[in-house]
Amino acid sequence: MQQMQLRDFFSEDAIKLDLEAETKDEALKELVGLLGLDEKSQAILFKMLKRRENLGSTGIGRRIAIPHCRSLVVNRLRVAFGRKPGGLDFDAIDKKPVQNIFLIVAPPLEVSNQYLPVLGKIAQFGKESDIPERLAAIETPEEFLALLEEKGV
Amino acid sequence: MHPQLELLLELQDLKTQRRSLAEDGLSEVESAVFELRPSEALEILDGKIEELAGRLEAPVRARFSEVSQSLGRAVAPVLNGICYGCFVAIPTAWSSEVGRNDRINVCDHCGRFLYYVD
Ligand SMILES: [Zn+2]
Repeated sequence: MQQMQLRDFFSEDAIKLDLEAETKDEALKELVGLLGLDEKSQAILFKMLKRRENLGSTGIGRRIAIPHCRSLVVNRLRVAFGRKPGGLDFDAIDKKPVQNIFLIVAPPLEVSNQYLPVLGKIAQFGKESDIPERLAAIETPEEFLALLEEKGV
Repeated sequence: MHPQLELLLELQDLKTQRRSLAEDGLSEVESAVFELRPSEALEILDGKIEELAGRLEAPVRARFSEVSQSLGRAVAPVLNGICYGCFVAIPTAWSSEVGRNDRINVCDHCGRFLYYVD
């Protein structure tokens, strides 16, 4: 069986390299907006993500945040990537601004149970020492996907 | 969307979050990667769940707690005309309706509240 690759979960229209957001809330909304859900679903999803953030920031340090939740409003695992070159205050663990945001949303029940492995893989990807610099240098969504492939996650 | 259905969705999502934190490997990832303290998080979630449940109208609340107790999840998504709580097909007359999330629908078969996902 072929191993699950992060790359397979990202579509180019859910990758935005110049987020307009100036705040954490705006960034969460902008990322949710990349998933192409109806307005009501977006609002519910935003609320759920906020509730997760209220438990503790998903900014894991080194300019990376991984907001995540399960919600009934999605019918399959969805991911998005947003980059804010100037950085955003995300209440991150290291108190530093966040530039790279990976959004992960999954339905409450998944046939293939991918939520946890995908979350783990993104966290592992974010921990690699050259990742912040590499992500900062990316110019197109294709390059982002190529970086995921190169790292073999 | 019916305001009570919206509340039900939020409530079910929070209960899902609570369940994952309490039971599966998520709690490990949440503490190792995100430095979350699961016990504290559970307490906050319980408070939020109670608050939202208090905003359900009496009959909705009664069904919600009854079905939650007997079946675990009280709100099920409907995908491709199938209730994902009991995996039985929903009569097509309803499931094709526009604005079907504007009212409170219940599965004839399992009794769960239904949320139609596009
Ligand atoms: Zn059912």
